[in-house]
Amino acid sequence: MTTLQRILYVEDEADIRAVAQLALESVGGFTVKTCSSGEEALREVEAFAPELILLDVMMPGMDGPSTLRALRNIPALAEVPVAFMTAKVQPAEIEYFRSLGARDVIPKPFDPMTLADQVRSIWKDCHA
Amino acid sequence: MNDTKQKALAEKLVELRTGYLARLPIELEALQSLGNDLRGGERDRSGLDMLQQRLHKLAGSGGSFGCVELSAAARVLEQRIQAWLEGELGSLDAAALSSLVEDLASLHGTVDEAEPTRHTVMPSAESTSGKALCIWLVEDDVDLGQQLMHQLESFNHMVRLFERIEEAELAAQNEQPDLLIMDVMFDLEGKNSTEMLGQYPALHVLNCPLLFITANDDFVSRVRAARLGGMGYILKPIDIPRLVSRITQVFEQRRAPPQRVLIVDDDVDLAEHMRLVLLAADMEVEVLQAPQDIMKEIAAFQPELVLMDLHMPEFSGPDLAAVIRQHNQYANLPIVYLSAETDIEQQIEAMERGADDFLTKPISDLQLVAAARARIARARQLDEQISKDSLTGLLKHASIKEAVDVEVRRAQRTGKPVTLAMLDIDHFKAVNDNYGHAMGDVVIAAVATLLRQRLRQSDILGRYGGEEFAVVLPDCDVENARLLLDDIRQRFSSLHYSDKGQGFNCTISVGLACSMQYPDSDGSELLVAADEALYRAKRGGRNQVQEAKPA
Repeated sequence: MTTLQRILYVEDEADIRAVAQLALESVGGFTVKTCSSGEEALREVEAFAPELILLDVMMPGMDGPSTLRALRNIPALAEVPVAFMTAKVQPAEIEYFRSLGARDVIPKPFDPMTLADQVRSIWKDCHA
Repeated sequence: MNDTKQKALAEKLVELRTGYLARLPIELEALQSLGNDLRGGERDRSGLDMLQQRLHKLAGSGGSFGCVELSAAARVLEQRIQAWLEGELGSLDAAALSSLVEDLASLHGTVDEAEPTRHTVMPSAESTSGKALCIWLVEDDVDLGQQLMHQLESFNHMVRLFERIEEAELAAQNEQPDLLIMDVMFDLEGKNSTEMLGQYPALHVLNCPLLFITANDDFVSRVRAARLGGMGYILKPIDIPRLVSRITQVFEQRRAPPQRVLIVDDDVDLAEHMRLVLLAADMEVEVLQAPQDIMKEIAAFQPELVLMDLHMPEFSGPDLAAVIRQHNQYANLPIVYLSAETDIEQQIEAMERGADDFLTKPISDLQLVAAARARIARARQLDEQISKDSLTGLLKHASIKEAVDVEVRRAQRTGKPVTLAMLDIDHFKAVNDNYGHAMGDVVIAAVATLLRQRLRQSDILGRYGGEEFAVVLPDCDVENARLLLDDIRQRFSSLHYSDKGQGFNCTISVGLACSMQYPDSDGSELLVAADEALYRAKRGGRNQVQEAKPA
């Protein structure tokens, strides 16, 4: 299994973006690119070539699910795992998100100290 | 991470938190003013919608900045509003609104400016991403409660026991289980929970399935339980494996994937309108532009319903329906015509050529959704009955064999391993002989439930024969399969069954065969190899896992 390095993080709230970036870079040691909207992510994603993508579910404009759908239309990203981040963590919703093609769902609020571990465990599951 | 780095990180976190706390009062004020603008009735819908979205954001962010209490409080309000938005706003009374405004104002008080202590309570990743459920059990009979708790725990669930409804109500103000199981009669308090639940606001709005357990089977309580949205009414003495399989069913229904509809209509505007209406009802929809591509489209999208215009230029609806029906695998795909046609004879003729029903345009949005939903639900149900075993909900013999073939071919194509496991309950005949067939069914259902819980979504499970099961583990080598099945074997042996005061345990034997060791074998050959390994496990003393070894 290759080691996870490059993560694209899409979130509209600046505060959360900042704390997640810190958590993933300083705690996790990842290379992180953040985008503030699904539209921006679609513009930037191919140039950044992430190995894993984290998507907020509720965003103005393109929300998480529609961003995922659009990402899935980019052939180069077919194998890149996508996980959602959301404050709704009902099992039924998780299954719904999975059915859209998400690998997993990280519940919000996340703990900045353990976010990197959660991401790593998703990565591991993808390659188990 | 070294100390300097750790310190820099801590400082940066404090800085981010300070910024968040500084902006928070503005957000809280905005929420309050949205609350103050509510006037009652349907005109509040957009305001409440906005409130709900912003509370949702707040619930998702607060905890990451140490404001755990704020997150929890925001979530409670978000859920309350969500429940309102799902109903008629006109039926909300003034008291409900004013209590919302009060609660919005009191959000300020939940913000903890002090430096947060570590190990704040976060929703655990395990409880949400795994299949283990967090179950709340409200039961005043402590012995029974404890017993249920231990048994549910052996199925990997996390259980929290409450002796009194009030305690659960208190917990529900800040937390949320995946499932609530509630006793009906609380003798000491003289309460009937089907009557009283409405008086506990936090419990009442919990957005999770609800099961009732009870010693007395009275009609009125049953009706009240159903009105409260109860998904089950289970009589004592409780049969645990059955309770667990009911729980599994409830969650599988909730997890059902969205329904898929293919629209074929040359009227582009109408097709787009129907697409949007069905999308809004949480379905997946595609519109076919070029009728000659219909079989390609069906193969790729796998629709569960085809909605088709009767009259189209070049190819008519009946032409396309007839082509679909030429393909055996789509003999059961529901096809419904949609047309302005009111001529009965034409309708009958169209139906004779492969369609199932006829909807007459103009059709209201509600009617369209209801018709599509009912058709697909019925088709799914039939499909389940055809392919799935009624006791366990697992695939039947023929379907699992088919799945084995597909997965073995896929593995050969992709070069990834696939492992087959054959499982058999040890000395099953003795269970039937000593305790009766009903008890035997319980043991079989317990294997099925345990398999479902421990395996991945992509694994395929089937009931191969009477007490024999087959499992297909794509992308899994034999070492991992052994670890997994051995864990299942151990868990199964620790399950305790009781019948009229007599207790007993059961064990399983397992045979494994992996495609990597049998590169040239097809599905049925690999099944034979797994079956031989199972036979060795039986001969070796049962209650064990054996791997197939090529000659």
